[in-house]
Amino acid sequence: METLVLPVLLFVVCAAMLAIGMLAAGSLIGPKRNTAVKEMPYESGMDPAHDARRRFDVRFHLVAIAFLIFDVEVLFLYPWAVANTNPAGLAAQVGLSQLVVFCEVMVFVVLLTVGFVYAWRKGVFQWR
Amino acid sequence: MFVDAETIRLLWPEIILIAMASWIYIAGAFQPHRVWWTCFSLAVYGVVAYVLLGTESTMWSAETALVGISGPLRIDFLGFILRCFAVLVGILFTLIGARGSSRQLTSEFLATVMLLVAGLMLVARANDMVLLFVSLEMISIPTYVLLYLGRRDRANSEATIKYFFLSILSSGLFLYGLSFLYGIAGTTTLVGMMGQESVQAAAAGFVQEGGELYQAMAPIALVLLMAGLGFKIAAVPFHFYAPDVYQGCSNANAGLLAVAPKIAGVVAILRLLVVAMPWAADIGWQLAIVLAVLTMTIGNVCALWQTNLRRLMAYSSIAHAGYMLIGISVAFAFHEGTSASGGIGATLFYLLVYACASLGTFAVLVALGSKESEVSGLNELAGLAGQRPALAAALAVFMFSLAGIPPLAGFWGKLTLFSSAVNTATATADNASFAAWFTLLAVAGALNAAIAAAYYLRVVAKMYFRPAQGDLPANGGLGAQAAVVVCVVLVLGLGLFPRIAVQVTHLAEAAVAPVDPGSLSAAAAPLPRLAGDVQGSDDASWDR
Repeated sequence: METLVLPVLLFVVCAAMLAIGMLAAGSLIGPKRNTAVKEMPYESGMDPAHDARRRFDVRFHLVAIAFLIFDVEVLFLYPWAVANTNPAGLAAQVGLSQLVVFCEVMVFVVLLTVGFVYAWRKGVFQWR
Repeated sequence: MFVDAETIRLLWPEIILIAMASWIYIAGAFQPHRVWWTCFSLAVYGVVAYVLLGTESTMWSAETALVGISGPLRIDFLGFILRCFAVLVGILFTLIGARGSSRQLTSEFLATVMLLVAGLMLVARANDMVLLFVSLEMISIPTYVLLYLGRRDRANSEATIKYFFLSILSSGLFLYGLSFLYGIAGTTTLVGMMGQESVQAAAAGFVQEGGELYQAMAPIALVLLMAGLGFKIAAVPFHFYAPDVYQGCSNANAGLLAVAPKIAGVVAILRLLVVAMPWAADIGWQLAIVLAVLTMTIGNVCALWQTNLRRLMAYSSIAHAGYMLIGISVAFAFHEGTSASGGIGATLFYLLVYACASLGTFAVLVALGSKESEVSGLNELAGLAGQRPALAAALAVFMFSLAGIPPLAGFWGKLTLFSSAVNTATATADNASFAAWFTLLAVAGALNAAIAAAYYLRVVAKMYFRPAQGDLPANGGLGAQAAVVVCVVLVLGLGLFPRIAVQVTHLAEAAVAPVDPGSLSAAAAPLPRLAGDVQGSDDASWDR
């Protein structure tokens, strides 16, 4: 039990010290030239308190969708990569050969690549 | 349960469709050429139809109507005919819609339709809750994209958003129902074979062994699943999106909405609720009867004073969902111990007949419009018979078929449905409430058919007996005209030779429901009896 608690405790302490240390260092030795803009909470360059029906650039939307392609890819590839060579992983659990699982993952990657190539050809990555 | 080489072999048509759709997306981004890609995708459907008919040609005999289960798939005759029909629907959509979308987006339209058809084909044979849900989403998601591609204006965007949110809500309800079903049964396989656990067997055991919790959860699962699928087929408490969405979107997309989700929803209801949940049939038939009567009546009565054609067709599609629910309630009642059957077969036959006539109607509307302007008002059709006699005649055929006028397909559809309800009523004459309910159902159906005739005939009267007000462009393209011809041939063919189609749908019913031949031929008294030779050619003996 101690072996489990001790590293976690150590991690919590280190994290707390790091956070407090950075804030303290900033407030102690940092220059203090405050303006109205700098006083605002940071929210990706947007006004943090505004009308909910505000417009924003449609290019953000495209970037978000393109991001999703890779995000979903990682979401699936990571567990597969970990389980694939693990002796107690996919092959052992459900009796599928590694080759079949590999082929299935490749089908998934190819389908995502289709989306990627399509977005690329349609000019999603050009910040016009 | 797990996929093996055999399953992959059985999935070739879907795999071809998805691979070719991906190819059209990518290559179409390099070389957007409307005619080339339309021909290419028609060729793909041709190859898929060839593969489909080639690999499963043995289906055409009663002995092998149910082949078996492979992985998450159930290979039976019901799935086979619906897969063939899905390919046909894909070809028709391709013909109808290719002209409509803007030139740059044609390849996107074609590829998205292809994915939708792949989804329809998967729904037709899904034997697993997860596959069923995924394939229903494979229909919904392309539908959102297609709705958006149809036109670029406020009304279309509003319709798309409305459909998107309500469809997501219905998917949520459906998924929630599936989770209850999984909780009751403890398996995701819908109908098992020897030694394979299924929802049907596992849950029946639990429910009968008395677990009060299971007995309490069965209606919840049924109602949630019915609600989720009710959105797809636009049954009444869940119908309110249909008129607005149909009116807002383009004619081709309205045709898509009237057919694709309806096929998927009806098949999912048959596979999931009727066949796999016989232990919930006592609530099922009551629920289906109430929904059927409400859906028919509200759909038909509201359609009476519509002046927008797409809105009219939306209410018409709601009403037809009500007719199909008659067959579904009969099929539910079959599990409740009535010896009469025929519900599933009648529903399927009606579904095919409705889809042909409805697609044909929208194909005519597309053919009457042009890229710039769409036909939408009922008054725009005035005097059409003088200007475009062929298209007017085609539209009249579809309207008569939807209304159920005798020599056309719609009549046989209604006849099989109503007679299945009447047969259930007579077969259960000893159980008074049962018989009364199904007699009421048949009477309500017949009354509704009379109401419906009023607004279908109004369209015909407008075309033939009113002076022309203006000239319609009638520049919808060759594809839409070809689709009109195909639909006319189907509606007339099914109307003049209903015997083959009725037999095919009864064979499909026999493949999913455990029917003994005696009760089937008794139930289908006015219908041809189920025989081994499906391609029986003695149509003369089919007494009209």
